[in-house]
Amino acid sequence: MAKFRLDKFKPIVALGVFLVGWWIVPTLSKSFLPFVQLSFTEFQAPAWIVSSYLDDLESFWARRSHSKIELIEAGQELARQKAFYQLLDQRNKSLETEVMRLESILDMPSRREFRYQVARVIRRDLSAWWQQLVIRKGEDYGITEGAAVIFAGGVVGRVVEVNAFTSRVELISSPNFRMAASFEGDVRPVVYQGVPQSGFGGPIGEVRDAPQDLVANTQNPLRLVSTRLGGTFPPGLMIGSVSWLEPGSTGIFQAGSVRLDKRLLSLQEVSVLIPLNPLNYDRDVP
Amino acid sequence: MFLDPRAIILFATNALLLFLCLLVNSSLAPLSLYLVLLGPMLVLPALYLNHRSFFICILLTGLWVDAALPATFGLFTCGFLVMGTLITMARIRFRTEHNYHPILLAHITNVACLVLLTIGEGLHYISAPAFWLQIVITAAISHAALLIIAPWFFNLQRLLFELCHVDTEPDEFPML
Repeated sequence: MAKFRLDKFKPIVALGVFLVGWWIVPTLSKSFLPFVQLSFTEFQAPAWIVSSYLDDLESFWARRSHSKIELIEAGQELARQKAFYQLLDQRNKSLETEVMRLESILDMPSRREFRYQVARVIRRDLSAWWQQLVIRKGEDYGITEGAAVIFAGGVVGRVVEVNAFTSRVELISSPNFRMAASFEGDVRPVVYQGVPQSGFGGPIGEVRDAPQDLVANTQNPLRLVSTRLGGTFPPGLMIGSVSWLEPGSTGIFQAGSVRLDKRLLSLQEVSVLIPLNPLNYDRDVP
Repeated sequence: MFLDPRAIILFATNALLLFLCLLVNSSLAPLSLYLVLLGPMLVLPALYLNHRSFFICILLTGLWVDAALPATFGLFTCGFLVMGTLITMARIRFRTEHNYHPILLAHITNVACLVLLTIGEGLHYISAPAFWLQIVITAAISHAALLIIAPWFFNLQRLLFELCHVDTEPDEFPML
């Protein structure tokens, strides 16, 4: 009779011990697994940062190959745009002064102020399971968890994880992302939420709890913008456009699909809005 | 020796594969395409290394993948160990001198990784047809890419064994 060998069960026994340990460790020490995760994440971060800087270097050398005439034309175009934006800035300042004057007359509560931190996108993880970006700024630039992230086309998402030199951003198209919104020119709040993406066409989301009297069509799509409700985003930032609304599951409100900006899938640079006076939920929320 | 030096080589190549895969995914994002190429990471450690070295190599690989991807921490650490152990237990049935069996195993473990991800991360969206459509597209292009990447990856690992002057034959083979 062949000798019964116990050593062939070694891998199974080791696996069992490990799985039991993995299950028990969090009950003994809550900080152990987050510490392991953080250590591995920080260990990998330099590789991504270096790859991002190499990308910048490649772009730099690509631009160096442009002719002087092309650069002069680009400089002229920039000068024109700068003059235009200087005019807009003057007008913006005068309007802001007017708004502040009216707010003080009406004794309105103060608005949340933000500081803008421009950050480079170093990685995009856009799949069926998650929709996230990694940006090249973290605790070193005072990025905070929950901070709003925007770009030239409107809302990008929200910071969900902050590491020493990088941060992870949940994209607006992610099913885990939800925010208060309103239609442009209408103060009534609605709910925006990301949905699973099919991979065909541009990114989409959904809007719920829209009032019954709103009508959207492909000729005149409604623009969905952010509101100050929730305190994360400043009001008026573009979320997307809605070209169809239909009765929701409750029958009281309407729901529809939101077409998001296609540039969300190829972002190079974003701005993180860091609140100057962060909300203290124990103190500020009634 | 406590740890087979090949475990370090295999872990380093796994980290390289993950890094390259995520770089490609980042570039493919505007096309809404995503590659999952995790299967090949388990095959040679399970077929070549002794039990202790295999365990350390796969544990480190799992932790590395978990830290890099936005999935729940521990999903791949535990999942890789379970899949790797199953391959180790059956490794007498596979031939390692050619790429045919390792490639086959890479495809099987990659499907298992896709299933693991879907169960671990996508149960909330299980009723959305768009979610399933994207899973099918991801699986199709990932396995098409694996047909090219898996042989290259296994050859790279074997080449590194030779360059580093370590044993090029599986350890304790066959395991009964």
